[in-house]
Amino acid sequence: MNQEELNNRLSEIEPKLTGIERTTDNRIYLLCEAENSYEVNKFLFEDVPLRFVIATGIDSDDCFEVLYHYSDDEIGFVVTLKAFIRDREKPSIESISPFLPGAEWIEREMHDILGIEFRNHPNMRRLILADDWPEGVYPLRKEVKK
Amino acid sequence: MSWRMWSLKKSVWVFHVNAGACNNCDIEIVNLLTPRYDVERFGIKLVGSPRHADALLVTGVGTRQAVIRLREVYRQVPKPCVVFLMGACACGTGIFEGAYHIPGAVDEVIREVDPRAIIAYVPGCPPKPEAMISGVVRALSAI
Repeated sequence: MNQEELNNRLSEIEPKLTGIERTTDNRIYLLCEAENSYEVNKFLFEDVPLRFVIATGIDSDDCFEVLYHYSDDEIGFVVTLKAFIRDREKPSIESISPFLPGAEWIEREMHDILGIEFRNHPNMRRLILADDWPEGVYPLRKEVKK
Repeated sequence: MSWRMWSLKKSVWVFHVNAGACNNCDIEIVNLLTPRYDVERFGIKLVGSPRHADALLVTGVGTRQAVIRLREVYRQVPKPCVVFLMGACACGTGIFEGAYHIPGAVDEVIREVDPRAIIAYVPGCPPKPEAMISGVVRALSAI
């Protein structure tokens, strides 16, 4: 797949997105709301197809962001899907682990430290926090005192 | 010098505790045992159980999960013993100052168990094997 083909494939999913950002020649950010993230992820992983690298969780004051990073290794291009979770009280997003088992642990980690709930996750247990860490305290949230 | 101290310094058997290190200090400790530095020629030997050890080599910042084990290991070491804190994380809290998973510096954790513990610090990120040998020699000559 070359750059042009990839751009054509990505334009198929554009109706589900809220924006597209291009920062450098080998990187593109696709912006979407949490409700559409499952479909867009499935499209990127199964239909384009791209390799799933990792996901990142960010607490950005008014919302939570989950960033899914995909790579096309042939042309060295990184596609990042930014999903915005607007509900700060009960942040939740559809899990992508049912079709992408490699995302299982990173979703568990985001659940541990940011408190984002991943719906339909097959095994949502604590992963990285200490055994005696209190329930319901999410250390990397902005409101947690240092 | 009491016979206990004499026997402690004669041939130091060490037990290595990783209390949440990034493995960099641990690799340098392994380096000490390889033919290039070969600390066994000084009688310093790595042992498999804290009950056989004269000294603890602690690396890492002492995470909330690890300090529980670290306290238990320290209790099991026959006294008198020396605790060597290897690396910047173990000496203070290093770059993890104020982080959520750190209950306190490693030396405070050890002093909670035993206020009279003999603690030696070898700073560096990671410390050079030469620095570790020098730290051990200095600590043992200061006792």
